[in-house]
Amino acid sequence: MIEPVQAPGPREHLTSDVTRAALRLQHHMLTATRDHLRRAGFVELLPPIMGPVTDPGVRGSKQVDVDYYGHRYKLMTSAILYKQASLLAFDRIFYVAPNIRLEPLETANTQRHLAEFHQIDVEVANVGRDEILEVAQGLVRSVVRHVIDAAADELDVLGRDTGAFTDLLGTPFGRISHSQAVSELHGLGHDQNPDAEIDWVGEATLSRKASTPFFITDYPKGSRGFYDRESTTEPGVLRNFDLIAPEGYGELCSGSEREHEYRAIVARMRETGENPAKYGWYLEMVRDGIPGSAGFGLGVERFTRYLAGLDSVWQTTAHPKIPGVVSR
Amino acid sequence: MNRLRAEGFPEQAIRARARDGAAAAFPPVESYGTTVYGATGAVHRDPLDAIRLAPPIFTPNRMDKLLDLAREPTYGDVDLTTVIGGFTAPVPVYLSAFGSTRVAGPDIGLAISGQAGRLGVPVVIGENVVPVNGYGRLGAVGERSLLRRVRAYAEQLPDGLGGLVVQQSTEDADAEVWNLVYSDPSTRSLLDSGRLGFELKVGQGAKPGIGGMTVLDRADADRVGDQYSLDLVYGAESGRVLRCSSPGTFTPEILRQQIRLMRNNFPRAKTWVKLHPGRDVREAAAVAWQAGADAVTVDGAEGGTGWAPLAFLDHVGLPLGECLTQIDAGPHCLLASGGVWEGARAVKCLALGARAVGLGRAGLLAADEDTEHGLTRLIDCLAFELRLLISSLGEYAPGSVGIKDVWAPGLPVPTHTMPLAGIDTRRRQ
Repeated sequence: MIEPVQAPGPREHLTSDVTRAALRLQHHMLTATRDHLRRAGFVELLPPIMGPVTDPGVRGSKQVDVDYYGHRYKLMTSAILYKQASLLAFDRIFYVAPNIRLEPLETANTQRHLAEFHQIDVEVANVGRDEILEVAQGLVRSVVRHVIDAAADELDVLGRDTGAFTDLLGTPFGRISHSQAVSELHGLGHDQNPDAEIDWVGEATLSRKASTPFFITDYPKGSRGFYDRESTTEPGVLRNFDLIAPEGYGELCSGSEREHEYRAIVARMRETGENPAKYGWYLEMVRDGIPGSAGFGLGVERFTRYLAGLDSVWQTTAHPKIPGVVSR
Repeated sequence: MNRLRAEGFPEQAIRARARDGAAAAFPPVESYGTTVYGATGAVHRDPLDAIRLAPPIFTPNRMDKLLDLAREPTYGDVDLTTVIGGFTAPVPVYLSAFGSTRVAGPDIGLAISGQAGRLGVPVVIGENVVPVNGYGRLGAVGERSLLRRVRAYAEQLPDGLGGLVVQQSTEDADAEVWNLVYSDPSTRSLLDSGRLGFELKVGQGAKPGIGGMTVLDRADADRVGDQYSLDLVYGAESGRVLRCSSPGTFTPEILRQQIRLMRNNFPRAKTWVKLHPGRDVREAAAVAWQAGADAVTVDGAEGGTGWAPLAFLDHVGLPLGECLTQIDAGPHCLLASGGVWEGARAVKCLALGARAVGLGRAGLLAADEDTEHGLTRLIDCLAFELRLLISSLGEYAPGSVGIKDVWAPGLPVPTHTMPLAGIDTRRRQ
């Protein structure tokens, strides 16, 4: 059993030059994010914190229950269901959203899991996967371009060579399908389950081989939540993607086209072991009609870790919550 | 009143329905929590009962054992060690799920967990323990909570043996039982040693086609009313309420994808699937194995530890022997439960393709007889009989027992494993 990483105490952490540089870098990243998305016609909404249900499609992690006037509510593991709902108001929305996931203890050592983290949560009505991949690529490039100029001092303190981003800014992000990724991992001698998510080790392996971010697309059904849309031409294949950072930093972002038709959503809920009864408000809304959409969640701390070139994701947050590590 | 008579007709049962309405679809509610229920045997007989174990006279595998030992083997040389759904067990036996039903707790549930842990026998913890009795993580650890049962088992477990399997069904998903167990520090030693599993409950033998049922006091019922449907079969004024789970909707694709998602979300846990004795049990087992299940349990229409309508106990679902005959397990792990408590029925199940058998009501009764040693002694006796019976068949491991070892009208003629030159070995018709 590997013991989980221990972050330093708050005084040591918050007064360290590395932490300060990472947090300033993050500040510039969020500024760039907001500027970029506003220019592209997005409306920033304040994210919901809790609700009767939250995103169930999160591998192995536990949701946090809240006693809401005697009823069980959940803190958001992600606001995906609320993003879909928000498209009733605007066609292009984003949040900078806090999420809570009580991750399995084994994730304490992946260097890229936090129990409390933030996502840049984007959703666009009436677009497909190709368009949303363009949005994700455009956002990442725009943020990188901005921080190379605006946060040069911070990157210098962090010892991050901005030459690492030359390819990212100059070349379109590559795409491989999940089945291609599985074949590649099998070729490298890694025992990847072809029906499941790319596991932590497999993902790090593929990431280390890359020099620019790349998309893995078409995950199999059974590896993701009910809201990732199943292909109509290739049953069992989801119209989704992950964005993987190079240099071993791994997954930055997950997204998909969304299921939005009532019958498909109920069937997919059962396939993912969910009890439709607890999604009353959502199913009622879906039955009355919601727009088709696509979107993604880009992990703020993971993105910061990659740009900062830091070892662990806890170094990019002021108040780290490492899975299973409890402050007294 | 009551002057009318009806000879040869179930007059008392009809009068009970006239008095009590839907409550009379169940055994008397006063017996809830003190009685386990099952088929009376009055209506059907399980084909397993008609089967006889058929020891051969010529025993080539005993010859191999003789050569191995350089002495005549005896029943004591049968090695009962069996890999059950990814866990190593000292006997081909596991403890079936006991849920939140009152007969399973608090003392008996804990007694079973502790004794099974000491033996290294795998245990399944039933659905709805978390939503009904709580997990026990914050505040005091309740006597009936899941955490208390997990601890009672894990603290006793010898190295390298056993495994704890936690069940979840449709409504339990609301309480995220698996996510909770998988991320909890108290199960880490089980997870790190590969001895944690999750069982998807598709159904159960006592009430095939319907969901779990228990009788709750009104106060407890109010607490779980958000999650389960509650039925006032005992009357609006009664202090008792029938709590019902839904059976859950399954299609082949739903079953396949639920299993894949379990493997995706909990890659370090074993994946078990429990089926009720449905008429399509063969197809459902095949789907489960194809999707990667480590074990498929078929629970014959025999009985249960909870609460079941009388109509289901005697009239609904395939008998266990029929299920085993239909299912083709091949190399996969098939587990059988339903009415097992002694060696003969257990060996018949093994002969029809099961890897191991589950103890349900028998485990509860044994622990009720003696909370310290009852289950241990029951399994001791069962193991003794298993050794006697398996050795009588000329075999020395549970996995070597097969269809060749049983006789029943209608079963295929056994093929001889030893060629006999010049002798017609076909059974005389």
